[in-house]
Amino acid sequence: MKELIKKLTDITSPSGNEDLIREAIREEIKEYCDDLKIDRLGNLIAFKHGGGAKIQFAAHMDEIGVIVTYIDDQGFLRFSNVGGLSPFQLLGQRVRFTDGTLGVFGLEKLEQMKDWTLNKMYIDIGATSKEEAEEKVAVGEFGGIIQDFADLGRRVAAKSMDNRVGCAVLIEALKRVQSPRNDLYCTFTVQEEVGLRGAKTSAFAIEPDLGIAVDVTLTGDTPEAEKMAVGLGKGVAIKVKDQSLIAHRRVKELLVRLAKEKKIPYQLEVLTRGGTDSGAIHLTRAGVPSGVISIPTRYVHSPSELIDLEDVEAAVQLVVAVMETPCDPENL
Amino acid sequence: MDLTRFLQELSESSGVSGREEETTVVIEKFFTSGPGKGWITDFRRDRLGNLILRKKGEGGEEAPKIMFAAHQDEIGLIVTEIKEGFLRFSTVGGIDQRVLPGQEVLIHAREEVPGIIGATPPHLQTPDEHEQAIKIEDLVIDTGLSREKAEELISVGDFVSIDRRLISLKNSAVSGKALDDRAGVAVLLQIAEELQKLKHQADVYLVATVQEEVGLRGALTSAYGIIPDLGIAIDVTHGKMPGLSDEDAYELGKGPVVVIGPQVHPKLFTSLQRVAEEKGVKYQVEPSTRPGGTDAFALQIARAGVATALLSIPLRYMHTSVETVFLSDLREAGRLLAEFVVTVDGEFVEGLSCF
Repeated sequence: MKELIKKLTDITSPSGNEDLIREAIREEIKEYCDDLKIDRLGNLIAFKHGGGAKIQFAAHMDEIGVIVTYIDDQGFLRFSNVGGLSPFQLLGQRVRFTDGTLGVFGLEKLEQMKDWTLNKMYIDIGATSKEEAEEKVAVGEFGGIIQDFADLGRRVAAKSMDNRVGCAVLIEALKRVQSPRNDLYCTFTVQEEVGLRGAKTSAFAIEPDLGIAVDVTLTGDTPEAEKMAVGLGKGVAIKVKDQSLIAHRRVKELLVRLAKEKKIPYQLEVLTRGGTDSGAIHLTRAGVPSGVISIPTRYVHSPSELIDLEDVEAAVQLVVAVMETPCDPENL
Repeated sequence: MDLTRFLQELSESSGVSGREEETTVVIEKFFTSGPGKGWITDFRRDRLGNLILRKKGEGGEEAPKIMFAAHQDEIGLIVTEIKEGFLRFSTVGGIDQRVLPGQEVLIHAREEVPGIIGATPPHLQTPDEHEQAIKIEDLVIDTGLSREKAEELISVGDFVSIDRRLISLKNSAVSGKALDDRAGVAVLLQIAEELQKLKHQADVYLVATVQEEVGLRGALTSAYGIIPDLGIAIDVTHGKMPGLSDEDAYELGKGPVVVIGPQVHPKLFTSLQRVAEEKGVKYQVEPSTRPGGTDAFALQIARAGVATALLSIPLRYMHTSVETVFLSDLREAGRLLAEFVVTVDGEFVEGLSCF
């Protein structure tokens, strides 16, 4: 599992540019599903037959990043954010564009800290002139922050753990599931970080009976953290509410029941900021009962998002449990 | 029907966004064993919990479909942490946190647990703190339970509703919690009652929508399922009171408010006005340029688009537990909308796409 997470987090694929990560996931799962397709927006949908209800599992494979907006005469790049990117996370970091070009972040001289915004920052790709810069990078090119995978033992940190760890959970579940009792549509969605866009269109096409997103959530267990009753290493989190979704009561109850039956450690999650793919899925067509299986993660949207592998294992077990439990959509 | 009594049942039922079932049952009972027995053709709940009551008209298979949407959910709270027996919480929808201290609440836990919201006593506040509303992070719910018992009964993620009786004030004013938008739901019942006396072509869908307060969610999915020819949302607007400008607020007791704005189809607006004039219904007009705030917006953008209107009930102290409306406005709204239904036929619907 550690190897898989490292492999997936090493890849740069910001929203709208998911080619590399999609190809890596496709390679991982192609032996483990009955059908594999890529829809028009780029969502990767792995189908596995089991009969019964149509369940859409969604893990977004895009990551936050930057987009080049302007190249100045000296060859410095100005950029905008793709998804929720804090300027404070960028100083001292490096960026990799989707073609492999590298750069480092710089900051203008500021009078006061409160002036520190993204538009006071720039990217230095080592160019000495506008012309030289333009040979390597064009306006509109996407990049992602790079950071080495850090193996801390039971815990690991990497960039884009949000949501490559969710992808890894879904991949592992697909590999492990023995006897699916539902029709499974494992969807690796695009463009979640810019507004749940891939989930919205894939759910419209799939018309699922049930939607379950697999994504990261925040924790409240670091020094002076915002109060939140989710802790790292305390099990998979079952979402009750975030800004995009109030989990369907019976879906939440199903997840809790399965966790209890299978003795999977779990915790209940109320996230006061942020949303995830189920927010889009549950509002699809005439409505889809939906929930979320979350992996507690520290330092979300930083270059070092930190998780506990035991929580990941619990998440895999819970996803497999749902896959192997007959779900009657009319009578959950 | 006894409007006061059913508005009271609706207002006092607990139905925080995403957990509307108790309110749904009140409405269902009204139509299965209450005064509304026999008033409608059938009803169903959809997958997100919207309650869809249908009254067929006389237009047969090709009858136009009118959807009325009033949201049954209310703003409330959700438990985020259990700390030494006290509960910390976050909001569901835009509750006014200035009025939270001192409220009585119900925690919908393994069993229903009563509680109160407490805050630091004024004696122990600094002068600075005294000047400001207490932040929601600094409030707690006290249930009186021991730490062990609280942890046994209550979980993170349990929903909390305000516990408040509806009271009658002078004139036809009533005051209570969740009148945004149980007043609208009561108008749905009024429409059903009024329609008993009238003949109409259109099939009428009275929808008590869910999760409006967190983003018009139930209206979006129910409209997708119903595929209405036209939709009218029934919600509340700000009532006049000292401190609000005349432009922002409407008189209580002077009739429902017909909204005009980008979310409203101009022909529906003029039809509602005309029906009101012809039938002698008192009404007020609200120009509203902000379409995002009510189910009307979700109806308008459902599928390939739905001709939509918005009727509002004037209400004072929105998003507090003393929301106040005049019953006369609810009755007039029901009468106006029922009379409007009578005017809708196939030709009317065709006319909606002739600009």
